[in-house]
Formats: sequence, structure tokens, C-alpha cells
Amino acid sequence: MKISFLVHNAYAIGGTVATTFNLAGALAERHDVEVVSVLRNRERPSLTPDPRVRLRALVDLRHERDHPLHGRPAKVFPAAEYRHGAYSELTDRRIGAYLEAIDADVVVGTRPGLNVHLALQAPDRVVRVGQEHLTLDNHHAGLRTVLRRAYRRLDLITTVTQADADSYRRKMRLPGVRVEALPNSVPDPTLPAADGTGRIVIAAGRLVPVKRYDLIIDAFARVVAEHPGWQLRIYGRGEEKDRLRARIETLGLWNNVFLMGAATPMEAEWVKGSIGVSASDFEPFGMTIVEAMRCGLPVVSTDCPYGPGEIIKDGEDGLLVPVGDAAAFGSALLALVRDDERRRRMGGAALGNARRFAPAPVVARAEALFGEAVEARSGGGRGAPARSGLPHTLRTGGYAARDLARAAATSALRAVRKGRR
Amino acid sequence: MSTEHADDLRTDCTAGAGGRITFRLRLPSPAPARLLLVRRHAKGRPEQESRTLALEPAGSDGEVRAVLEPAPPLAEGRWDPYVLRGPGAERERLRPGLRDVRALVEGCPRDRPSPVAVRVPYATVDGFLAVRAWLRTAHPEVSRVDIADGMVTVHARLHGTGLSEGAAGVLRLRGDKDTVRGFPVRRAGDGFSFTVAYGELVAEDGGARVWDVFLRPAADAPLIRVGRLLDDLADRKGVFVYPRVTVGGSVLRPYYTVDNDLAVEVTARG
Repeated sequence: MKISFLVHNAYAIGGTVATTFNLAGALAERHDVEVVSVLRNRERPSLTPDPRVRLRALVDLRHERDHPLHGRPAKVFPAAEYRHGAYSELTDRRIGAYLEAIDADVVVGTRPGLNVHLALQAPDRVVRVGQEHLTLDNHHAGLRTVLRRAYRRLDLITTVTQADADSYRRKMRLPGVRVEALPNSVPDPTLPAADGTGRIVIAAGRLVPVKRYDLIIDAFARVVAEHPGWQLRIYGRGEEKDRLRARIETLGLWNNVFLMGAATPMEAEWVKGSIGVSASDFEPFGMTIVEAMRCGLPVVSTDCPYGPGEIIKDGEDGLLVPVGDAAAFGSALLALVRDDERRRRMGGAALGNARRFAPAPVVARAEALFGEAVEARSGGGRGAPARSGLPHTLRTGGYAARDLARAAATSALRAVRKGRR
Repeated sequence: MSTEHADDLRTDCTAGAGGRITFRLRLPSPAPARLLLVRRHAKGRPEQESRTLALEPAGSDGEVRAVLEPAPPLAEGRWDPYVLRGPGAERERLRPGLRDVRALVEGCPRDRPSPVAVRVPYATVDGFLAVRAWLRTAHPEVSRVDIADGMVTVHARLHGTGLSEGAAGVLRLRGDKDTVRGFPVRRAGDGFSFTVAYGELVAEDGGARVWDVFLRPAADAPLIRVGRLLDDLADRKGVFVYPRVTVGGSVLRPYYTVDNDLAVEVTARG
């Protein structure tokens, strides 16, 4: 198969970029794979894709930031999408031209607005796959309405958890569109796994409120009181840094809790630890949980929607605690800090259980899903009526017009809301 | 020239607790190559010290490896590794791959003999692989810093020499070798501590100043720098961050210098 991934900005660091590169790289072993980045802001991508994956960009912000069309708001990319501000008439046109000329068998969108582009503009000859890397329930009503209309024209929607796939099936009414869970994959580690002797607890991710690093720090205070030789290392950058620093100082934990900044690759950091932690209030998947487990760390995580509960087997390869409960989180951490044997046993289980997120099984699943979608499409046979029986351009126009109306309504609403503030 | 090749030369390395560093990289051609380690000097000054290591084939997939043995120790500073492909070839700087430095994390549970030699592979700010080296006849390693009630207590462990009668923690004003403050040392278990009253560090005029932290291990012994060198972190300054304390019109904060030595900065209250 020839597979084309469409991503927002493949040159920046991000979970979607990382997971797309992982999947694209693994698929490139047997297929012709390209990653098309709508935006480009630097010479080299921050994360390095597999050399067999071709990478190109549609709009190069280094030269085209001041392009007159880039100053005009996007009309195809829905106004209700979070990233609408980064899109423009220029991105509308470039994405449209890319899709019109596409010679791939499968085109894969990686965020809601790009999935809408696929639905509206990709020709019938290509199988359209919309990936949901967040979750349906977390989208606001305006975006859900846009997606409900546009996604009818996709062939396949993949979510990162079963729970989210169930949401789509229950709430979206998308006749003829297959919805399946396709978890993110984490590359096979190259370093020997952690052996459980380290005395470091590790968390990683963007320092944003939803990740609740404050709760991890509070919980870790109990560990320090009992085991002053242990460290907590938090890797990542973000707006919460100063607040977290203040929390560390208030609790007097500056000898034990460290804000490490960003580290790539994280693999060399995970193996220094012996417990991974994640305290998010909400986690569409939980990439760092899988990363830690693949390096042999048991993970203590909140049992938040949706990912952690589908990744961790509570009591076997990690511990799940209620959301927002620092006391419970501290108790779970202490249980593993105190018990070397249990920690080591759970680390071993994590290593084995997390193999289901290795590229091989995940890519096999993706391959099967994409292949079946291509087959289903060609099964219609040449000359068979397209699903709506209308010429493609006309349908696209219709949807685009409706979306445009919706976009106009949404921005009007926003203007009103702003005015009220 | 070298930057064009740099991505091919992503180099993994493994550091052992004893100081051994193994470098591993893949070279496209099987031609014999060497690994050159050059000690970085201040801009405009010539490079003088270097080490050349053989890059031996290891495995069948084009991987080559070089081993930097613990002895002799590297001079203190930052060392940049390059690959030399064949005689007369231009040297090419290396990009960092996976740095497995987990063996360094636990620091040093036992006393180290003199000289105390430390090597930590790290990634430079501009994205190259480098090795940070320290070489000191003796070294007081900070284990923790307690800050409370207008005082800072430094807990440390002395490597490379012994602690004698009259040992003292000494703070010396940067830029003025004659202005020093001494604080008696208490022994505790394997280590020692001393407590500095912040009030003694504040300038009368409330001006900004920096105090470098030393240990005088015996009554008449020369000062040795107090710092934290014995773990996996080459750049500690932005990671080990201590709280600020306000004393009168001044704000005081212990911090690690770019060389991971301990200092106390005094600034005017903002």
C-alpha cells in the first residue's frame, strides 16, 4: 500500500508527531509511506522519523508566514477546531491541492480539522482514515457537530482506546464508517531494562495543569518523609513550571524533587528509575505510561479517562488510584518504594505486558485495518455508485458550504462571547 | 562540512561507575577510524590536550566502538569527541544518541581515593555529544542543603582526604580572596555538615555579591571547593534549585555554578 499521513506540524515535538512517526516508520518496512506536514517552522524535525519515511511540508512558515493568503482565516479547516488560528486560506488551498493530486491508497488524518479536510476534499479513489488522538467526549459541542457531519464521509476512524471507540459508535451515528481502537505504539527499547534497584520515581510530559504534577509532588512528600534517599524527577517543559517549583519549596522538597526540563530520548532517563508515575485528571491514551513500562518500570497512575485503565493491570504491572487523591497516590507509591521484591516483580510484568504496544503488533493491526478498508472500497467495484450517488465535487461543495455556515456561526458566537467579557 | 555528516554519527555511550565510557556508532564504510577526544578551551585559545582511541568493529552491522578507560584521568573541563575517518581526514563532531549513564546515578556510596576523577557524558546545548570531566585532589560532595530560620546547612561527604581537627566550612567572597567567613564543621556518620548564618553574608550596603563555598579539611590546609559532582547530571544549575530567603534588604540563594560547585548569591531585594 501507499500510505500518506497528514499532520499539523511534523517539525515540532508532540505526542501525535511521535506516535505518527512510530507508526509510519513501522509501516515503511513493507509499504510506501510519507508524512505530509501542513506547517513547517524549522529545517530539521525535532523528532527524527525513520529514514524510509518521506517527509514534506505544505506551508513553510520560515518563508511564507507573511503570505497574503496566510493572513486570511481558513474556511475548509473548521473554525470550531482548536487549531483554527494556525490555519488559513493558504493551508486550505495547499491541503486541497495535496489531496486532489494524491496517489496514495490510504490517506490518514491525525487531528479533527485535518480529518475534516480528508472528508471534504480527498478523492474517492483514496481510502480516508481519520485518527482521533484525543477523545470525542472532550471535544466541545460545536466541534462535535462539525465532526458528526463530516466524518460520515470517512472510511475508518481510529481512536487510541476502546473506551473512545465505544463513545464514537454510541454517540456519532456514522453509517458505513468503521470505528476501531488502534493504540499508540512505543518503539522497542534498545537499552537494557531498568532492574528495579534505582531509587528514582519518574514522570514525564508537558508541564500543564491537567497532568497534575502538583499532586505527584504532594504525594511524594510522604515518600521522602519515610525514605529520604528517593528522588522524584519530572521531565518536560511548560507553563506550570514556576508553580511546581513553588510547591517544591513550600513542601521543603528541593533535595528530593527535581524539574529536569525536556529530555529526548526519554528511554535513557526511564532506565534510571524504578517507578513511573502519571497523575493526570484526563489522559486520552497515556504514552508515557507505556514508555515507562517498556523500560521495565511499574507505573502508579490515576485511573482517569481513558487510557491508563486500558494500559495498566492494577496490582500486576502497576497501580491505579482514584483521580485527584494525593493521599491514595502517596500510599500506592509507598507500597512500591517499601517493597523491593514487589516493585521488581511488577517491573518485570510491565515489561512483558507492554509488548502489546510494541510497533509490531500495533502496525499489524493498522495494516489489517487499512487493508480491509481498501478492500471494502474496491469491493464496490468500478462504476458502482459512490455512497451518496452524487458527483464528488458537488457533495464536497455542499459539505463545505454547510461547514462554512457553521464556521461563520461559531466565530460570530465567539465574537459575542468575547464582547461580553 | 562536518555538520553534513553529523546526523550519521549519532553516538550511543555507556558510562560505568568506575569512569569507563564506551562509545558506539555506525560508520557507513568499513575504513579504519579513530575517536578523538579534545579538551575544549576558552574561545580564541588553542586546543592542547587530546586523546585518541581506536574504533574497533563490534558486531556485524557496521557498529564500531571505542573505550575510554578510567586511567589515566581526564583533565578537568569539557571534552568533545570527534571521529577521524582515515589518515588526513577532517575530524567530524558527534551527535548524542542514547546515553546510558544509570551507573552514575547513585553517586558514590564509598569513599573515593585521591584524585577524585569524574566523567559524565552529556549533550551540549547546541546538540553535540560531550564529556564533562572533573579532577580534584579532594572533593566534598554535597548530599543535601537545608534552609531554615535564616540559616543554610550544607551536608556533605569528603572524598580523597580525611577531615581533621579545626576543619571548617569557608565562604569566600568572589573577586576578593581576603574576605572569608568560617563556620565550624560537625561530623555525622560518613559525612559532615556546617551551618552558615545568612546574616553574615549580607553586605552593609545591601549590594549584590557571590560567595563561593569551600571546605578547609584541617586547621592549616588549603581550601577545597564544595560541590556536587558524583551523579549523572553534567549541568546541575537549572535542576538543583534552592529557595530564596530574604534577610533585611537582601535576597540569598545557594546555587550550583556552571561547574557544579556550590555558591551563595546575594542580591538586593527587588
